[in-house]
Amino acid sequence: MQEFFANHPKIWRAFDILLPFLATLAALGVGAVMLMAFDANPVVAYGALLEGAFGSTNALADTLVKATPLLLVALGICIAFRGGVINIGGEGQLILGALGATFVGLSFPDMPGYVVIPLALIFGFISGGAWGAIPGFLKAYFNVNEILSTIMMNAIAVQGMNYLLREPMIDPVQLEAASRIPQTARLNAAFDLPRLVPTRLHLGTALAIVAAFLVFIFLWRTVVGYRIRAVGLNANASRYAGINVPRHIVLSMLLSGAFCGLAGAIQIYGLHHRMFTDGSATGFTGSAGFNGIVVALFGQLHPLGAIPASFLFGALIVGANKLQRVMQVPSSFIIALNGLVVVFVVSADYWRRRLARRREAEAVGELLESSEAEVPT
Amino acid sequence: MDSSILILTLASIVLASTPLIIAVCGEILTERSGIVNLSLDGSMLMAAMAGFVVAFETDSIWFGFLAGAAIGAFFAFIVAFGSIRLRQSQFAIGFVLTLLGDDLSAFLGQNYTRIPGPIVTHYPIPILKDIPIIGPIFFNQDAVVYFAYILVAVTWFWLFRTQPGLRMRSAGDRPEAGFARGVGINYQRYLYALIGGALVGIAGASYSLNIKIGWSEGITRGLGWIALAIVIFGGWSPIRGMFGALLFGATKALATYLQRTFPEVSVVAFNAIPWVLMIVVLLLVGSDFTERLITIAPKSLQRPLQRLLRISPPQALGSTFVED
Repeated sequence: MQEFFANHPKIWRAFDILLPFLATLAALGVGAVMLMAFDANPVVAYGALLEGAFGSTNALADTLVKATPLLLVALGICIAFRGGVINIGGEGQLILGALGATFVGLSFPDMPGYVVIPLALIFGFISGGAWGAIPGFLKAYFNVNEILSTIMMNAIAVQGMNYLLREPMIDPVQLEAASRIPQTARLNAAFDLPRLVPTRLHLGTALAIVAAFLVFIFLWRTVVGYRIRAVGLNANASRYAGINVPRHIVLSMLLSGAFCGLAGAIQIYGLHHRMFTDGSATGFTGSAGFNGIVVALFGQLHPLGAIPASFLFGALIVGANKLQRVMQVPSSFIIALNGLVVVFVVSADYWRRRLARRREAEAVGELLESSEAEVPT
Repeated sequence: MDSSILILTLASIVLASTPLIIAVCGEILTERSGIVNLSLDGSMLMAAMAGFVVAFETDSIWFGFLAGAAIGAFFAFIVAFGSIRLRQSQFAIGFVLTLLGDDLSAFLGQNYTRIPGPIVTHYPIPILKDIPIIGPIFFNQDAVVYFAYILVAVTWFWLFRTQPGLRMRSAGDRPEAGFARGVGINYQRYLYALIGGALVGIAGASYSLNIKIGWSEGITRGLGWIALAIVIFGGWSPIRGMFGALLFGATKALATYLQRTFPEVSVVAFNAIPWVLMIVVLLLVGSDFTERLITIAPKSLQRPLQRLLRISPPQALGSTFVED
């Protein structure tokens, strides 16, 4: 197999790109065995999954809608991880972004949409960024472990959301009816992001894809982005090179939180049109803040890689719901399937890198042999 | 507050802190050998579920704890294997396992929610329980609590006063030096990841068998993260970790008490207090803020204070070691 690849470099390269998808297929293969354990026919089940994710215009739109927050969160995670900061606070930052954006919408109910929507998205971007900058600041200047502080910040954000939605921001209708469901009033319909009727696909998806390209340009084509990556690769070397390391750590966390916040703002204006809570984080976020991390890892921490990765995960989530409804398998099967995909993709990546190393070593060996032959004796 | 009520409250704090103490000891063992098991939150949930289900089905507490320990060790093994053999990020694997454990426990335990099952029996220690104040707080408890005390002592002794403990710390602190002295670094890491994971599992099982008796979805959620924070607060020392866990239990109890006293303040403020407190604690122990505080103290106190407050994480924590 080694020799085959060595003789066919083009096939090798194609194989490199296809590997995550092959790994996904392998994971689905293991999933098929699990399905059989549940007495479900895997062919029918995966048929349902595909149909649920891509079967109709509506299904495809739902997949894209699901993928949108995942992509935005993954972009934020890319920036943080590239900057050497592990941001687990996507959930909290997403909530803050959504709260900030909702606040704008509720404060200016009579302004035209073209004023309020950009304002709200920017405010969501800033609120999420501020929430992300706090653990970034604590890490950069006080050496506080960011994994733990972002987790704590998630918990605080959830409590803050519960308070705001139960007391000051609650829908007046809920107060009058005394049912007190913790949610805000529906935002003015003029603020809804343009939608591809009759599906639920909204402009946010396009915004997210544009954002992915912007993040790519930022990280790989600007000086600040270069510095953030340098700090992530080697903080000491960066310091000797004159880069202000703490400042770039804060900046990468700020931007990371900001994109998570934007995800929350877009969820409000594109999809839900009001903020609500069920007491936990997942009620509103649907765990997008956590799944976004998985998406970012799947996309090899590359902003453009996050686009297909988020699409795949969006499809998995939407399709798996359909699969579950049709086949009546337990919902945890879906989670297990997601986990399998992640494990397979990550190990396939390891395998690919090992093969690549061996290939390089062989190439160097051949080079040495040929050069030795030329040495006059 | 009546003194007997105060003693009862303190006793309940001690009881409620035991799972944290056990989990913190386990994670300290793992991290001292150089591996971060970030999956704590998920593996504790899985262990709490498995512990209760097994104890319920077999009607034996022991099998319950055994199942919890097995689950915890299994999760830790995945983290260790992924990092040592597959050279993947420990944080990524641990984090994915956290999510998986949370969801998987909710599903697998769905038929066992909110039903009564076997519980750990109360076992006051004769003589010791009659010591005034201390007796009813610390020795009028059950076997799991005593296990936690013994565990703290044994862990401390093992870490700082024995040869194997030294070998293990070399794996976490100076793997190259340890390897040169003939220590199997990765063997140490596998071993202590498994032991530590098993302890985390016991901690999870003790929750559903001893504290919040019974299983319901997400009953230990958040506790794993708290334990990870306490490991740092405790400076990777079991004794300080124990105090950290007790302190955390005390603040939670205080928050509950304050909530009853000031019902007009929103409940979420009290729910958020422990988390804010943990951030403040991490801030205090992590920065040179404490170092500066020490210099204010009288000269004779400075050295002991430094010993008390110094934090030094294992140097090679979270990095991979290649044996060749």
